[in-house]
Amino acid sequence: MSDFRRIRSMAARIRRERLFGIRMNIMLPILLLFLPGMAWGFSDPNIILPGGHQPSTAMEVLFYASLGVVFGATMCAVLLSFDGVSRDRASGMLEVRLAQPMPRQHQATALVLGYLQSILIPVYGLMVLCLVIVRIRMGEWTSLEETLVYFASTGLILLWYTLFALLASTTAKEQGTAVAFGVGVWFFFTFLWALVTTMVAYASGVAVGEANDPGWVALEGALDLLSPNGVYHHLLETQLPSVDRGVPMWQTWAAAIAWTVLPWWGLQRRMEALVP
Amino acid sequence: MAEAVLSFLDVQHRHKIPTPRWSKPWAQRLGPGIVDLNLKLYKGSILGLVGPNGAGKTTLLRMMAGILPLQTGSVMQRIGNEEWTRVADLRTLVGHMPEQVRWQGRTTVRNILLELGDMRGTQTNRIDALLNLVGLQQRQDEQLDNLSQGMRQRLSIAAALLGSPKVLLLDEPFNGLDPVAAQAFTELIQRLANKGVSIVISSHMVAQLGGFIDRIGLLHRGQLLDEGPLEDVETRLGLNGRYMISGTGKVDLNLRLKGIDLERIEETTNEDGWSLTFRGDSQEVLQALLSNDVVLSSWSPLAPDLVEWLCAATGMDVRDISLEVASSAFLPMRTKEMGEDE
Repeated sequence: MSDFRRIRSMAARIRRERLFGIRMNIMLPILLLFLPGMAWGFSDPNIILPGGHQPSTAMEVLFYASLGVVFGATMCAVLLSFDGVSRDRASGMLEVRLAQPMPRQHQATALVLGYLQSILIPVYGLMVLCLVIVRIRMGEWTSLEETLVYFASTGLILLWYTLFALLASTTAKEQGTAVAFGVGVWFFFTFLWALVTTMVAYASGVAVGEANDPGWVALEGALDLLSPNGVYHHLLETQLPSVDRGVPMWQTWAAAIAWTVLPWWGLQRRMEALVP
Repeated sequence: MAEAVLSFLDVQHRHKIPTPRWSKPWAQRLGPGIVDLNLKLYKGSILGLVGPNGAGKTTLLRMMAGILPLQTGSVMQRIGNEEWTRVADLRTLVGHMPEQVRWQGRTTVRNILLELGDMRGTQTNRIDALLNLVGLQQRQDEQLDNLSQGMRQRLSIAAALLGSPKVLLLDEPFNGLDPVAAQAFTELIQRLANKGVSIVISSHMVAQLGGFIDRIGLLHRGQLLDEGPLEDVETRLGLNGRYMISGTGKVDLNLRLKGIDLERIEETTNEDGWSLTFRGDSQEVLQALLSNDVVLSSWSPLAPDLVEWLCAATGMDVRDISLEVASSAFLPMRTKEMGEDE
């Protein structure tokens, strides 16, 4: 069996286990509420957002509905994969797996792919449903480029959170630490990042929260590159011509690559040094 | 003598213990582990690796399984009469059965073996044969959550045998097994050894290994104190040729055994009777006692237990050994010779 087939086989086993597990049954209603639910709400022709803004294009609706990805899908990614390694360590299975001649880096790759697929499949399914909902409510499809960016960026943010959770899982000696680390990272970037941005802005003498202040917009845009959620929104904003936060597209994609490569590299290193 | 198939030369792995300080939050120091160990494994032999808790048995088995890296030393292999060659990846040669695997989940026995087989590149028909070998053929579609402890141990050994390993490592395999399951397990191990598999069994219970291991390795504080065929090690440590004899009534053993050349190791007398542990010609002793109408209640060769092995190998008192284990301290080993010098 080739290395590629081994990785694919191991990833498929994880995917099957997680996709049809109890956890997915619990998370599916949450995902249904957050993804198609938000798409339905934001595509309401009569919706008026705070500030009197009204979404006018299908992509704009999907951009607002992407809050569902940030709040719901990323949380589900963490809750699916937080015990990807620590559970096996606790049960003794990790020792059995590490004793197999499959290289540890390949095992790490299979873990990432398996857990990513298990969250990506339902999320992508629901995103297709979002596109249909928006089409029905607004009479408009997103363009091919917008759709590709929407799916690719969502895939990336789920990959990042899966990597964070698996990385935590390799470090944690028991399940509680693994879930605390995974959820902690999610909580930090999802809820506390605004606080970090505010503190940096205050320290820099920038008027905090002034949406019309170019200084605030630029600072918030730059700091968002340091957060996976921020990079996700930057990626989506590349398809929104009306939004300009002063971050060139190459910086956005460079940040996306960094957020992909660094935790992946970290996970590979952790797996190499892993002790049962 | 069986041919050596795998040789560990001066191998070492010491665990890294976090010692955080304000100036160095990630600082680590070397802790207990295995130090400068030399060991050869022979085709078809069963090596019993014994030592007290914390001696390093699991660490050594994990090193031998390729799970823990060798910090120093090397591993060589020999196939048939060819030259010794360095082993690139131990995991291709070795099957490892960890101490406790809680096989759990809704996946079935067969599917978990297929999954591990994929990681090893094992054919499906080999898995069927393994299920048959360990007696899980009828349970192959059982969910892991529903397996008993004995079945889990069988599954562990099946997993270790994937890929037809040359060397099989079993870490405390008798834990949690009832006597019937332990007997079946012993027979299985002997069958595998007869097929030429080199087997290493770790245990802190020497009595469980008695009768079916043909080599013994004494491990203490990360060092292999002695290793070799059971009889050779017994002789080297002065634990061979010992007998225990007991009887009822009051007997003057000095008088009855006068003129017989024997080494008295222990002698007890109480109201119920007497017992004598000695080294010497047991037939001569037996004959002398019976001809003097002494009533005997038992007579048997005396097999050493773990404590005797370790005390003999280290020259230490049993209380010293147990205290060291309790403290888990990693200190230079005091050998028998050093003790004598003191």
